[in-house]
Amino acid sequence: MCLLGSELRRIFALVEKGPVQPMRFGPLLATALIVIGLAGCATRPPASDPEAVAEYEANNDPLEPLNRGLFEVNNAIDTVLLRPAAVVYRAAVPPPVREGVRNALGNLRAPTILMNDILQGEMDRAGRTAARFLINSTLGIGGLVDVAAWQFGIRGHGEDFGQTLASWGVGEGPYLFLPVLGPSNPRDLLGAGVDVVASPWFWFGQGEVVEILRWVRSGMTVLDTRESVLDTLDTLYATSLDPYSTLRSAYRQRREAEIRNTGRTAPEAAGGTGFGVGVGVTVLPGATIPPR
Amino acid sequence: MASIGRRTAMLAGLGLALPQPALAQMDATRAMNFIQTTGNALVEALNSTTLNAAQRRERVANILRQAVDIEGTGRFILGRWWRVASPAEQQEYLRLFEETLIRNLAARLGEYQGVRFSLGRSQQRTEEDVLVTTVVERAGTPPINLDWRVADVNGQPRVVDLVAEGTSLRLTQRSEYSAVVQRGGNQVSALLTAMRGQLQQMQARE
Repeated sequence: MCLLGSELRRIFALVEKGPVQPMRFGPLLATALIVIGLAGCATRPPASDPEAVAEYEANNDPLEPLNRGLFEVNNAIDTVLLRPAAVVYRAAVPPPVREGVRNALGNLRAPTILMNDILQGEMDRAGRTAARFLINSTLGIGGLVDVAAWQFGIRGHGEDFGQTLASWGVGEGPYLFLPVLGPSNPRDLLGAGVDVVASPWFWFGQGEVVEILRWVRSGMTVLDTRESVLDTLDTLYATSLDPYSTLRSAYRQRREAEIRNTGRTAPEAAGGTGFGVGVGVTVLPGATIPPR
Repeated sequence: MASIGRRTAMLAGLGLALPQPALAQMDATRAMNFIQTTGNALVEALNSTTLNAAQRRERVANILRQAVDIEGTGRFILGRWWRVASPAEQQEYLRLFEETLIRNLAARLGEYQGVRFSLGRSQQRTEEDVLVTTVVERAGTPPINLDWRVADVNGQPRVVDLVAEGTSLRLTQRSEYSAVVQRGGNQVSALLTAMRGQLQQMQARE
């Protein structure tokens, strides 16, 4: 059993006390803690080797053995299910339709992005998000067409509660790799959960049709996200000698840039953690993709 | 006088903490000019209509060989394992690193036509280098932020890192290589074996 990062405990304490209702996340986190405890941790290098210790701390991955196991699980699911689905989706659905789907998914996230813009005190960005939502929901036919960017030059940006927590000074906690979701950490995972619950779509409507629409949205989000990182991940797996650590380093750097709002192409459509953030490795457009 | 003397003595006592005067500083304008020139040469080679794909790749590789501080970057990426490696391993590593880096970049850029790039407005300066920001564009795809870290290497400006959308290539690669060494029982030879295998695959693909 290993010591848990102080960040994780801090987030846990925040959930217990904080503005977030504990009932939804308490058991989830408790389960996560038990799983983590059982799986064992990476061995911390001895203090006599300061360079190794520095690297260990920079990697921020005390749960590496568990994470590598989950990475393998992810790759198995990805090989038989997610990647083929994304390949078929790309081949079968023409680009304008896929773009429409991505726009619509991004538009559905607008209330969440708006909430986080406001919580971070970014009123300028909040104004743009609100304007985009109004324009695209109406003139953009329910968000299918990004009229706001196309006709009004109001470009979109992503934002999520994990980033809001970061802007409030909450640390990321130990690195996590989760099957299907991808690279993450306790802070961003919690943030993604808060985003789901705080979204109006979580509360709006009931009945079978609404339930089906929710499932369709979730499914399309996974598919759209996987399709968006298709080339990047193919290249990464083909060129990296250790894709796990490449992904870890790249994801954490990318997330850092997102929090600082320095990224040019922040994805709106996907959530605030995992592959939705992008994998941090930018493939130059037009690059050839070696076969996997 | 006495206080100056004492301070000097204290600094001398710290020994290594004293700044090394030999390190040349990189001038921001010079770094920008260098990236402008290198970028133009790359774009010209990539958009050339008289060269075939293999020739373009070769031209791009030559430009990169001249522009990138391959030895310095290679040593940075091997990091703490550089001193663990034997002199023979160090030589072999640098040879493999150069081959891999140039082939990888040239292969990715080689097929890439119709590219435009523009220098960004902001340059970040550190003590040792300058981060020159550029935007790479191509019709039909979103623009990419590509930043070039330029340092003074033996009096010449050289690229020491590429930062794509906030992700540093050398940091990511250091993490990757270190993981391979550690998982190979803390042996640099394990990394060299993996690199050799990768290079063979690349050559087979070309």
